[in-house]
Amino acid sequence: MCGILGYFRKIPGSDEHLGATMLNMLNALGRRGPDSAGVAMVGPAQRSRYIVRVQAGDELEMGDQAIEKNREAIEHFARSLQAAGALSSSGVYVRFEVDAATSIAELTRTIESLGEGIEVISIGHAMELSKEVGTPLLLEQKHHVSAFNGTHGIGHTRLCTESIVDLSHSQPFWGRGAVDVAVVHNGHITNYHQLRRKYEQRGIYFMTENDSEVLAVYLAEAMNKGATLREGLDGVLRDMDGAFCCLAVTATEMGFAKDPYAFKPLVLAESDEFVAVATEEIAIRAAIPGDYKVSEAPVAEVRVWSR
Amino acid sequence: MVPVATCAIDAATLSTREINTLIRSRLAGGSEICIENPAARHNLGVALLQPGRVRFLGSVGYYCGGLMDGAEIHVEGSAGWGLAESMSNGYVEVKGGAGNGAAAAIRGGTVVIHGDAAARLGVSMKGGVVLVGGDCGYMAGFMGQKGTLVVCGNTGQAFADSMYATTCFVGGTIGNLGTDAVVEPTSPDEAAMLDALLAKHFSAEERASKPAGSKFTKVVAGRKLWNFDKHNWKHWQDAL
Repeated sequence: MCGILGYFRKIPGSDEHLGATMLNMLNALGRRGPDSAGVAMVGPAQRSRYIVRVQAGDELEMGDQAIEKNREAIEHFARSLQAAGALSSSGVYVRFEVDAATSIAELTRTIESLGEGIEVISIGHAMELSKEVGTPLLLEQKHHVSAFNGTHGIGHTRLCTESIVDLSHSQPFWGRGAVDVAVVHNGHITNYHQLRRKYEQRGIYFMTENDSEVLAVYLAEAMNKGATLREGLDGVLRDMDGAFCCLAVTATEMGFAKDPYAFKPLVLAESDEFVAVATEEIAIRAAIPGDYKVSEAPVAEVRVWSR
Repeated sequence: MVPVATCAIDAATLSTREINTLIRSRLAGGSEICIENPAARHNLGVALLQPGRVRFLGSVGYYCGGLMDGAEIHVEGSAGWGLAESMSNGYVEVKGGAGNGAAAAIRGGTVVIHGDAAARLGVSMKGGVVLVGGDCGYMAGFMGQKGTLVVCGNTGQAFADSMYATTCFVGGTIGNLGTDAVVEPTSPDEAAMLDALLAKHFSAEERASKPAGSKFTKVVAGRKLWNFDKHNWKHWQDAL
């Protein structure tokens, strides 16, 4: 079933309360997905640096000692980088900043070769991704997402209908290899195996067995080749089969793609100040007071909002 | 029915079951009921089996008015999926828009949506009247068996696909016709029926932006799918 949501402030400078709004929306969609919760939120961009978020391991699959060993290796690596700063750890996550001159692909490869079970969760100038197995409340307890100030973001609550429940399979998915790109998805991509096979033949590797990950791989590749988010999402509508709604963010944009058959719900509220998109209206009403209209998003449609 | 009193229920602190139990008990007492803070919650006002009026002061979620027989529901905001689904009889009015599958499989009664309706409006209708002030989405009227479906604005793709005998009227542009859907002339009697329907359910101000009854396009089943015919295989290939 899953719940997805997105929130986008249109007014420059009014960047407060993004995290609190996102958490309220996420809580309201918690019923749709008790397996995991996550957000990708965009804060102020720092062009000269990348914010790197790394998972040291998965508590469901690894012992504490192995995770601790990985964490130390990641922290050691972060300290060894010349421009590394703002090193912090929370739960199984390590966060640090590096000089943006670094190659993302190389950085990702190096970090993930530091130990078994290490996974880079996101890299961006402005975007940070947090996800946890469990409820939105647990996500808040571990990552304090409500304290995040920013301009826009997307979130996900997961009801696992294929593959497994663990941290890697939770959403959002980072568009691996692309800066500031993340995606959330509600539905099923039915031609996912064919697409995945094509990518794997070209040497692109997947972190999970989750059909949604192909969206992240697809968008990352398209955007690394120069596509805009709109072009990327238009491609999703063209190349993906199935019943799906997906939301994606970049450093400056948020957009959605909805399948041509209207199998999956997605509602939309837009005012002069904000855009809110969610699987159910209940999420928007729970988070945003005031008088505004909410309507079902049209089918076979891509929409993108930019700052 | 003339309500004897208006009674307000604040949904914010109640469970869905408590809200629906309160609605049923107070309808039995003859009250008109106002539900405050519905907050787009699901399953509100489901299976109301007696006459009476319920007003939701905000948006409702999925299945509002579903399985209803005889009551009257007004929604001041918008509605989620499955509005009035499988209603036997009664009246459901939504000021805003409605999500997918509004008035699906209704057997009777009237559903009025002042805004837009999303996909699969009035699918498998077995009777009743559906009136949409705005546009409707993909596959409205699919497999409709009886009843009347009226859309004042435009329709999405595959309109009136594979119907049995629902009669549809469209005031705007038809996205495209579904399998076996055919256009027929709107008779003067039908035009008068549409004018009366709009006059009954829409304010004068609202009606000003709607077409006259005679301007509506009538769509019915071509009846080619009613009985299987192996000589008409191409038609079945398209339908399936």
